[in-house]
Amino acid sequence: MELKFEIEGGNFTGAGNASSEVKKTLKQLDVDNAKIKRIVVALFEAEINVVAHADSGIITVTIDDEKVEMLVDDKGPGIYDITKAMQEGYSTATRQVREMGFGAGMGLPNIKRNTDVMNISSVLGVGTNLKMIVYLNDTH
Amino acid sequence: MENTNSYFHHALKVDNDLCTGCTHCMKSCPTEAIRVRNGKAEIYGNKCIDCGECFKVCPVKAIFIKQDDFNELQNYKYRIALVPAVFIGQFPEEIRTSQIYSCLKKLGFTHIYEVEHGVGFMINIIEDYFKDNPDRKPYISSFCPAVVRLIQVRFPSLVKNIVHLKAPVDIASIIISERLTDAGIKKEEIGTFYITPCAAKIAAVKSPVEDSESAITGVINMDFLYNKVLHMLSNSDRIVEPINHSLSGRDVIWSLSGGEAQNFSGRCFAVDGLRNVIDFLEKIENEEIDSGGLIEMRVCDQSCAGGVLNPNNRFVAVERLQRRAAYLDSNPDGRSCSIPSFSKDFNTRIQQMMSIDEIKPRSILKLDDNLQVALKMVEGMKKVKSFLPGVDCGVCGAPTCSALAEDVVRKHAKSEDCVFVHKSSEEINEIISRIWDK
Repeated sequence: MELKFEIEGGNFTGAGNASSEVKKTLKQLDVDNAKIKRIVVALFEAEINVVAHADSGIITVTIDDEKVEMLVDDKGPGIYDITKAMQEGYSTATRQVREMGFGAGMGLPNIKRNTDVMNISSVLGVGTNLKMIVYLNDTH
Repeated sequence: MENTNSYFHHALKVDNDLCTGCTHCMKSCPTEAIRVRNGKAEIYGNKCIDCGECFKVCPVKAIFIKQDDFNELQNYKYRIALVPAVFIGQFPEEIRTSQIYSCLKKLGFTHIYEVEHGVGFMINIIEDYFKDNPDRKPYISSFCPAVVRLIQVRFPSLVKNIVHLKAPVDIASIIISERLTDAGIKKEEIGTFYITPCAAKIAAVKSPVEDSESAITGVINMDFLYNKVLHMLSNSDRIVEPINHSLSGRDVIWSLSGGEAQNFSGRCFAVDGLRNVIDFLEKIENEEIDSGGLIEMRVCDQSCAGGVLNPNNRFVAVERLQRRAAYLDSNPDGRSCSIPSFSKDFNTRIQQMMSIDEIKPRSILKLDDNLQVALKMVEGMKKVKSFLPGVDCGVCGAPTCSALAEDVVRKHAKSEDCVFVHKSSEEINEIISRIWDK
């Protein structure tokens, strides 16, 4: 099944809508609580990234009996140096964003920690595509 | 129907003679536990958390809270009233606590024991629990039984975070019963009766979280005893027995908002009101809350002072209790001591009786044990929802279009229960745009 969400850049109060909707569905599917937590944390971080850095974004979540795949495609500035962005504590967030309690440079590392597969590609001035997978079956 | 086969006992009942099927209760239920069938409200037992929201909104008083028969007292030689501090808060300031207690004795109780007597004891044990269970952070208080059930049914992943200790009322009941049996009284001669401000406490006494026997014999509704006491006060000879206050201010306000949380170090939170509790639990579940202390949560606005069975206004009750607390703290001579001093052996015994081994998750969200089946059901719900109007009118007997869609895939309802599906799509669009501008 597929769930789609649109995210508006700069709207911090709307961040979390996608992850809470996905959480509800995963609870209905009786997915293991620890896995739900990982998925929700990763997706929430991704939502925050779009809100904090991009102009807009689309999240597509596909759930089947093996995995939860989350695609986050945003239109925005892109990431200049992905390797650096993956380091804990590295942040390009504006002062304004930091003052709101975000932008600590933990977003991408946190996503990495909570997902089984994480691919990120970015084009400067165009946007960033993030793909995350969490497998539901432990054999992976 | 599901309610005939429920994990929980419920104190909230529907009087079918009075119920008009108006859907007010169904709309107010936080766990979507109510449906209207054959013109009457029906409660799904596994979903209901006994919060009392339906009781509050029913315009014809068709929802009632089933208490124990007051005459049951007479089955016991020693009849203990377990009185919560909020009971005193129901009366006007000029009526003294001792007068109220005298009335309770005249009504048939042999002993009056204040529920909050166990608080001092409780604080020490909670602190020990924190030390022994560092992996169970953040700690959610087990005080409000409606919160415990809400977590079981809607936030099963947080069940392990509930402090696995009994509530002060259970502890009070255990302490007094143990004291009396230690004094040579037979256990079967002792009956402990809790004067409850809410339905959830009744439900918790009748079916404790772990399937063991409750420490409390029976439950009497607060509004019922309030009326009895009030009548006696107006005709009373005003002769009262002196009472021995042994509560401190801290004990008296334990059941008010912030009453628990203020006693612990670390980041503590005091959350009251049903919607606030649900919001906060969502945040805890998403790991957005960093707390090393106690998270106090009560479903009633203003905590137990806002209990649905309280006759007095919640803010007036809070004010009276705060004054009583200040009075007790400024006149410490009037009370023996805030922590009842028991022998070490007695303490250890009570401590063992206080712990709860297991609180089971009872998810009501889960559609099926089999993931493939559940996925099909989620798809099915999406499909059903796509042709429902999305205005949550409640005419189908379910609180929302989503709830109807879920009922359909669970085979508890049919999509044709929605009045809109009988019309052509042009007619529906016309109605919806005319009324809801969608």
